[in-house]
Amino acid sequence: MSSALPDLPRRNLLALAAATGALAGLPAFTASAAPQRPANTSYDSGTSPNTLWWQAPAGDTSMIEQGLPVGNGRLGALASNDPGHEVLLITDATIWTGGLNGTLDSDGQFPYGRADFGSLTLLARLTVDIPDHDLGAVNGYRRTLDLDRGVVGASYVRSGVTYKREVFSSSPDDAIVLHFSQSGGGRYTGSVTLEGTHGEAAALSFGAQFANGLKYGAAVTAYGSGGQVTVNGAHIEFSGCKDLTVVVSGGSNYAPDAARGFRDPKLDPQKLARTKVRAAAQHSAATLLSTHVADFRAAFGTFALSLGTSSDDQRALDTWERIQARHTSGDPDPELEAAYVQFGRYLMVSGSRGSLPMGLQGLWLDGNDPDWMGDYHTDINIQMNYWMADRAGLSSSFDAFTDYCVDQLSSWTDLTHRLFQDSRNRFRNTSGKVAGWTVAFSTNPYGGLGWWWHPAGNAWLSNSLWEHYEFTHSRTHLEKIYPLLKGACEFWQARLITTTLDNGKEVLVADHDWSPEQGPQDGRGNTYAQEVVWTLFGNYAAASAELKRDSGFANTISGLRRRLYLPEVSPTSGWLEEWMSPDNLGETTHRHLSPLINLFPGDRIRPDGSTPKDIVDGATALLTARGMNSFGWANAWRSLCWARLKNADNAYQLVVNNLRPSENGSNGTAFNLFDIYEVEQGRGIFQIEANFGTPAAVTEMLLYSRPGFLELLPALPDAWAESGSITGAGARGGFVVDLRWKNGKPTEAKIRSVGGRTTTVAYGGRTRTVTVKPGGSVTLKDFAR
Amino acid sequence: MYSLTPVRALRAMVVLALTAGFATYLPAAEAATPTADTATAVAAKPYMGWSSWSMQSSKYPGLNPDGDYSYLTEANVTKQTDALASKLKKYGYDHINIDAGWWRDNSWTPEYDQYGRQAADPKRFPSGMKAVADRIHSKGLKAGIYLPAGLEKEAYNSGKTPIWNAEGCTTADVVHSDLRTTNGWDSSYKLDFSRPCTQKYIDSQAQLIADWGYDYLKLDGVGPGSGKSGDQYDNVADVAAWNKAITAIGRPIHLELSWSLDYGHAADWKKYSNGWRIDTDVECYCNTLVTWENSVDDRWDDTPAWTSLAGPGGWNDLDSLDVGNGAMDGLTKAERQSYATLWAVAKSPLFTGDDLTKLDDYGVSLLTNREVIAVDQSDAPPARPVTPSDAQQVWAAKNPNGTYTVALFNLSDAPAAVSANWTTLGFTGKAAVRDLWNHEDLGTYTNKVTQALPAHGSRLFTVTPRGSAVTLTGYEAEAATNTLSGNANIADCSACSGGKKVGNLYVGGKLTVNNVVAAKAGTYQVKIAYVSGDSRSVSVSSNGNGATSHKFPSTGDWGTVGTVSVPVTLKAGANTITFDSGSGYAPDIDRIDVPNSSS
Repeated sequence: MSSALPDLPRRNLLALAAATGALAGLPAFTASAAPQRPANTSYDSGTSPNTLWWQAPAGDTSMIEQGLPVGNGRLGALASNDPGHEVLLITDATIWTGGLNGTLDSDGQFPYGRADFGSLTLLARLTVDIPDHDLGAVNGYRRTLDLDRGVVGASYVRSGVTYKREVFSSSPDDAIVLHFSQSGGGRYTGSVTLEGTHGEAAALSFGAQFANGLKYGAAVTAYGSGGQVTVNGAHIEFSGCKDLTVVVSGGSNYAPDAARGFRDPKLDPQKLARTKVRAAAQHSAATLLSTHVADFRAAFGTFALSLGTSSDDQRALDTWERIQARHTSGDPDPELEAAYVQFGRYLMVSGSRGSLPMGLQGLWLDGNDPDWMGDYHTDINIQMNYWMADRAGLSSSFDAFTDYCVDQLSSWTDLTHRLFQDSRNRFRNTSGKVAGWTVAFSTNPYGGLGWWWHPAGNAWLSNSLWEHYEFTHSRTHLEKIYPLLKGACEFWQARLITTTLDNGKEVLVADHDWSPEQGPQDGRGNTYAQEVVWTLFGNYAAASAELKRDSGFANTISGLRRRLYLPEVSPTSGWLEEWMSPDNLGETTHRHLSPLINLFPGDRIRPDGSTPKDIVDGATALLTARGMNSFGWANAWRSLCWARLKNADNAYQLVVNNLRPSENGSNGTAFNLFDIYEVEQGRGIFQIEANFGTPAAVTEMLLYSRPGFLELLPALPDAWAESGSITGAGARGGFVVDLRWKNGKPTEAKIRSVGGRTTTVAYGGRTRTVTVKPGGSVTLKDFAR
Repeated sequence: MYSLTPVRALRAMVVLALTAGFATYLPAAEAATPTADTATAVAAKPYMGWSSWSMQSSKYPGLNPDGDYSYLTEANVTKQTDALASKLKKYGYDHINIDAGWWRDNSWTPEYDQYGRQAADPKRFPSGMKAVADRIHSKGLKAGIYLPAGLEKEAYNSGKTPIWNAEGCTTADVVHSDLRTTNGWDSSYKLDFSRPCTQKYIDSQAQLIADWGYDYLKLDGVGPGSGKSGDQYDNVADVAAWNKAITAIGRPIHLELSWSLDYGHAADWKKYSNGWRIDTDVECYCNTLVTWENSVDDRWDDTPAWTSLAGPGGWNDLDSLDVGNGAMDGLTKAERQSYATLWAVAKSPLFTGDDLTKLDDYGVSLLTNREVIAVDQSDAPPARPVTPSDAQQVWAAKNPNGTYTVALFNLSDAPAAVSANWTTLGFTGKAAVRDLWNHEDLGTYTNKVTQALPAHGSRLFTVTPRGSAVTLTGYEAEAATNTLSGNANIADCSACSGGKKVGNLYVGGKLTVNNVVAAKAGTYQVKIAYVSGDSRSVSVSSNGNGATSHKFPSTGDWGTVGTVSVPVTLKAGANTITFDSGSGYAPDIDRIDVPNSSS
């Protein structure tokens, strides 16, 4: 075995560990603890419904539709798996340009450019060229994504030899590993090239710095057997190798700490990357793989889903053919539909652990200019990204979202105090007062805001964080998010204005605002704001009570809540009003469902008799008017709303609509299962939310929950009715549910408590109340009686 | 004269071919004795060789140092002659074709002899055109030359120039009195073949190039075609006159026509010539010889209509095969292989326009793959698309020995898996697959072969069926049980089965074939017989489910039926299959044939 990277002194590693040892504001890219190496290294793979497969690689210009994603929660890549030309487009969640962006434009809103606000960008590009393995010369090419193990693979035959490769991003070793092997006497000859994407030349390692001061760097090494691995200038060359392992790592000196300017000045990312690849290269590829798989399975294996059995004909198709056949045959493909959910979970585990949360594209880019900066959008996108986490057994992946909000809060608060009342800001408080914090439609990781102010964004973010508490009953989490909830309430306390309705009733309404992305920009009492603030105030009261803090303020907030105007049904359209007007002031089929925010994700509007029928009917009519043919996240949100209304057919159809194959950029599912949004004719872009929102809708069709109430199979579509199971589904109220069904009816439900004590369990109009101790479980059967 | 070809060299060439294990290859014209049926003998197979135009038309650094189009010189032709002889001749490449400009200087000023015939530009060809041909022949190769259609304006000389061997005839006596222009550039006066002197002018040109020893003539700018239509640009009489002149001389001279010849006159081209360019120039007139988009990739759309016209005596000419040097060609490896694959399966002449002194290794491997050359030169018919002209497409030809030549193409900008389904070829079950580019038997495949193709990539296989013939159930489009909507209606069609088709499928026009019975659920390769004078798309769906848009290749005109197979998902029992024009114009549908087994 020969290593291509010169040894680094051991003390560098130790010094780095010491330098970054602080508990708070730990950089995302930091010295790793010694990885836990598993004793048992054998895992079955390759044949389960959770192994996706294809018969073509990605090309240089099709990485976003055809590249297969890997990620360790921080360090991600899209892999081409071209036999002769493996390409990895690598990024780290922190490789952001831009900064605080704390100067408003002349309209009182925030600049939104790649230099000022910033953009997520690529970290590096890795290529492994094997000239003799040109795609035109190989045969039987097959490519896999093993969701259970978190491994991308490819195999092919060249001149009678079977060649295989595996690509994974290991969290324990904090590096991406490529392992090339063969059976039949083959050899690998070629070169490895690591390049930056911001003008850095090819090198075994590189370090550089953005104009904003962020340092970043990456390093690669390679080792093999049976041949030579040598460094030739900026490249690693290998010849005659029976197998080859390539290890690449990298990151930045981003630190999630406003007080330190979001930098760790002592961290040298290039040096740390070299340390990491050198450390990993001490181990065989098999060891690195088994370490990764053990770690990945621990995160991923918490949840299982069966929606029924697919036919042999369906199973014989590759994943892309199957997506197409689902569309052209109209036949349900239950295993494909379940695998799509698991693919979302795979992205969640791969994209959201221990670093920044996922924005519009998670960790997967094909260039340095992702649309809308690949940023955090606060009016649906980041929230939808995390709707699935708790519902699908990935509560720990939610933490990146929580930590992000907590870490940004001081800066958001500062910007709100300094700039929200700017006289040019058309959304400023008429009251002249400002308190607490809010955000803009876009946020970055530097405490910065972008594009227009989004006053109610604070409430929606807070409510999302609160829901995680409802799922997990984690007191630690509640303590972390409490300042966010409280600050958001303070903001609204200062912002709400009193108005008198035609009937003489005095109510509180939100000040001048925009119902996200449509209609007038000076509406008062917009439904979206009224609903989301109503929920916020309720959540805050519950948080205050739980933590026994600020009872006086909580009483004040509860008082305000009682006076909040709540929307009415338009007498002209019959829809729940989006603005305080009977008129439709926007697009009928607009993508956003902002006025339905309390149908989902909130649940003020419930079809169970507790909500006035006219409101439920008005919400249903509005949802109906919005239509069934939008795109990605908009379809997912519609599906979730229909699931809440227990309309299984519509909820399922919208899932199916998102599974339509994306051709030439059309809306739907790409070859690699990424969700594609057609921004203009022929130009589709990857938007990750639907990859999470659609799985969330699937879980919501199978299990509805709110604190104290679970409903089994609220919207089970015929396609999945024959038999199925969901295991490890999170439920609000502090439970995890394992549910089996047959012939459309639940056969067994195991309610496990992660903190909840009592809940009603409903199915088909019948209810039972169960009591269970935290850590304990209860199993229910015989629902049909 | 033909006898000038050294007999010694000819024998050496045949011996070489045989010892190289390529017994099927015999240079057709060489093997034939110059007898009365030379027309067939001349182009018994698509010719192979080299042409000067690609480099001459390129702005690739260094090729045209003395100004645009200055590449063509005696020295360069000699260099390429020697390179072809030493590197490619043994593979069957035997033509050195001098293209446009040999009678013009670098400012494009022409030279003519005293009879108004093109004469060598003394700077480009100081030894004269006969010496060049002799030099080419001395290497055992054939010499090709070029002329534009009509009497070049500069040769008119106020009508005073006498015509050779035509007493009393001058240039004034061969053109129309109004001096109407003709050809693709309007650079000539149109010849008036109602005048007795006119054939004499063509005879004089033919005699001249025959005397020089040329074996091949490219007549360029021919219409209808070359971007022109109408009587003024109808050069059918010119082509007939050339045919007559060549026949009269008795020397076998291959007559090739250029460019973008009109499909409507295909019978004329076939009658009078040995090959016709079906498309515009493949060259990009840019910094490389060609580019994929401009205009290599046009050929996949433009060739299918012509397929049935190719055969011994006359071939569909797809233009130069510039795959020999990636940097100069301006193509990726995958594009170069696809380029060569299409040319071979379409049985186009294989003439490269590359700098043969600078072929790269991959270029040599493409140009000298004997299995691929054999596809081009075999007795099998040219391949045609068996699938629609979609981003992924399959072309195939049934060979006389019962095997199939099958080409997979991925014209998409991204890699894709491409499958050839055996039912689209006419059989089911197993088949052995040989990869011609890689010289590798891939084994036996059931129902189909699928391979990963790079962007703009291809594979070329010989498929040997081991199964049984497919049986089909036919459904006529015009059947009374079908549903027509929009403007769709039933129309007469003499070439169609049942004498009728469904047409007017445009802007919402729809045909639904009802009660299509399948024994078992699955994806069926449904064969669609259709008529379409141009390439048109149609959305195909079954049972009201998701539709897939397919582009059907042109059948050439509105009286010719073509077939392609389209994957359709059927359930067990009765199905509907719908052809929807959507917002565009769809082909007319004649009938559909559903195989008895899915794939």
